[in-house]
Amino acid sequence: MSPLSAPEINAARVNRLVGLMAEQKWDRLLFYGHAWRKDFFRYLLNVNFSGPYAIAALERSGEIRAVLSHPWDVELLPEGAKACDLPMLNRGSAAVAGLELMDAGLARALGENLVSATSQVEELRRVKEPEEIRALRRAAALADRGYERFAEVIEPGMAEFELVAEVEGFLKSHGAEDNFMLIASGGAEVTGMKPPTERRFQRGDQVTTELTPQVDGYYAQICRTLVLGEPNAKQHEAFSIFKEAQQAAETLLRPGVDTADVARVQNDVFRRRGYGEYTGSKYTRVRGHNLGLHPDENPYVLEDVHYTAKAGMTMIAHPNTYLPLSGYMVLGDTLLVTPGGCERLTLSERKLFQK
Amino acid sequence: MKRGLIAWDKSELPPQAFEARLRRLRERLAELDLPAAAVYSDLWKSNYGRFYSNLMLYFNRAILLIPRDGQLLLLCGLSPRVYPWIRSVTILEEIVPSPNLPASLAEVCSRRNWRRIGMMDPDGLPYDLHRALAACVEIHAVPHESDEWERAMHRRARQMAWDGLNEELPVGLGMKDWEFAGRLERSLRRAGAEDMAILTTNGDCAPGPATGQTLHEGFSVSLALEYRGHWTKIAQHHNSADRAIPHAACLEVLSGPLPFQICEKPPEEAVVASALEVREGAHRYFSGDAFWSTKNSLEPL
Repeated sequence: MSPLSAPEINAARVNRLVGLMAEQKWDRLLFYGHAWRKDFFRYLLNVNFSGPYAIAALERSGEIRAVLSHPWDVELLPEGAKACDLPMLNRGSAAVAGLELMDAGLARALGENLVSATSQVEELRRVKEPEEIRALRRAAALADRGYERFAEVIEPGMAEFELVAEVEGFLKSHGAEDNFMLIASGGAEVTGMKPPTERRFQRGDQVTTELTPQVDGYYAQICRTLVLGEPNAKQHEAFSIFKEAQQAAETLLRPGVDTADVARVQNDVFRRRGYGEYTGSKYTRVRGHNLGLHPDENPYVLEDVHYTAKAGMTMIAHPNTYLPLSGYMVLGDTLLVTPGGCERLTLSERKLFQK
Repeated sequence: MKRGLIAWDKSELPPQAFEARLRRLRERLAELDLPAAAVYSDLWKSNYGRFYSNLMLYFNRAILLIPRDGQLLLLCGLSPRVYPWIRSVTILEEIVPSPNLPASLAEVCSRRNWRRIGMMDPDGLPYDLHRALAACVEIHAVPHESDEWERAMHRRARQMAWDGLNEELPVGLGMKDWEFAGRLERSLRRAGAEDMAILTTNGDCAPGPATGQTLHEGFSVSLALEYRGHWTKIAQHHNSADRAIPHAACLEVLSGPLPFQICEKPPEEAVVASALEVREGAHRYFSGDAFWSTKNSLEPL
C-alpha cells in the first residue's frame, strides 16, 4: 500500500453539511468522536486522533474548529481547521452528530440546548463519495489478503488468540489503522463468535471469523468459515444454505430495494430448507449492516427494519447464524450498491475453506 | 480494540480480590445510604466494570448493578448467545439481555423501588443513558478506590510493553512505520496483550498513527497496551539524544473512568502515564513510562 497523504477537508461535503444546517436552522454542527467511535468526527475531519475524545465544529460560514483532548492530536489537523478550547463551542444553538455517545458532563459543558444531529448525518454518510469508495476498495482488498493469511497460518495446536495475533499483525503491517475481528472454533456446540480465547484448535474444528480492516478511516468486512480437515456432510449441507442465502441477497440488492427484503430473501432460503427458526434473534443478530467509517452502521439488515437502498451505499450481507447441522457458521462480503445492482468489493472465493 | 485475549486467570486475580472490592463498595453504599451502585461499561470505558467483576466487553455496552444486599446483575446489550463466554471470564452469573439499555435500567430501578443510586463518574455516562437514568432516580457520585491487585496487573501490563518494545525497537530502523507497528503488535498479542495503540514519529512531529513512512535514525515510538483490562503507556526513541533539552511533558490517567484522560496534576492512588518530549535542534524525541501516583510523587510501578 502506498503511504497515506495528509488529510484534507472535503469541500463538497462541507457544502452539503452547511446546507443541512441551514435547512435545520442549526448555527453550529458538532461532530463528536471518542476512542471507539471516531466516525462522526472523521466524517468532517478524517484525522485518526489518539486522545480519548475529539469534537469538530462546523459553522454556517464553513469555518471549522476542533477540540482535541490530547496535545499530540493538534498536529494532525488538516490545513483549514483550527484547534480551539471547549468553551469556544458553548455559544449559540448547536446540534451534535454523535450526541448519544457523548459523556453527559461534556454535553453539559457545551450548553443546555443541544440537539441530536445523529440521524441526519448518518443519512448523509450512507451514500459514499468516490474518495470514500476508493478507501473502501483498499480496505476490502486488505480484508481478502487478511483472510488469505488467516487460512495460511491456522493449524491444529495453535490458540485462537495466537491466530488473531498473526492476522492483526499482518493487517497492521500492510496499512490497516484498525481491525474489528471476532472468531469461534469447535463443533456444533458453538453458538456465536467472540474475542479469541486460549482454546487450541483441533483437527475437525470448524473455525469462523469476521475480519474488518480499516483503511484511511473506512472499514470493509469479510466473513468466512474454515474446517481443519475434511468437512463432513452436515457442514457441506449447512454451507450450501449460507451460500444460497448470501447469493439471494446479492442478486436482489439494487437502488430502490427495501433492505428488509434483503433480509427476507436470505431468511427465506433457511425457511425453505427447514431452518426458519434459526433466523431469529435467539440464534443470530442481523443479516447484514451498513459499513463505512464505523464497522457496524445502521440500517441493520433485518426483516423489520425498512430502508430504501441507494446507489453508493456500502453494506455487508451475511446470513451468519447457528444451525444444528454445523454450529455457528458465517459467510459474508462487502457490497457496493451500484446504479444497476451491486458489486462485491471483497473477492475471496465463496467456499467452505478447509486445511 | 479488545479483539485480543480477554481472560480471567484466577492465579493472578483471585475471586477474593473481587470479594474484597465489592465488600468495600457495599460498605461505602451503606455509609451513603444508597441501595445500589451502577457501573457503566463499554469496550472503551471498561476500567470500573473490570475492577468489580472482570467484565471487559468487546462490543456494545452494559450496566453492572451492584446492590448493597444481593447478587450482581448485568444489563447487557450483547446477545445471550455469548453469555456463557461472559460467565467464563467474569464473576457474573445473572445477565439480563438489554437491547434497550436505558429502558432496562429504568425498569429495574422501578421494580426494585430504587429512588437513589450510586455511580462512579456519573458525568462520564453516555448522554442517552444519563438522561434516562436521571429521569427515574437520583444519581449520587460514589468514589472509586483502587487496590494492590489492580496495581499488580498494571505492573504486568507495563512489563509486557517494555519487553516487547525493547525487543522490537532495535530492528525498526529502515522499516515502514506500519511494518514496524504490525510486527510489534503481533509480538505483543502473542504474549497475551488484549489491545494496543502504537504511534510513531521520525522526530519531525508528535507521535501519530502509521502512514507508510520509513523510520529513520532517532525515531520514537509510543505504545499504549492493555493487558486483561489494565492499560499502560510507554514511549521510547531509537537512540539517545545526548544534548537534548526537555521541551514538554504530558500526564495521562490510565486507571480512571476514561483511559488516557490528560491531567495537569495526577490524582492520588491512580496509574498514570508520563510522556516527555525533548528536542535536539529541530529533532523531537519522545520517551515515557507508567507510574503509580501518590499524594506527593509518581512512584515506579
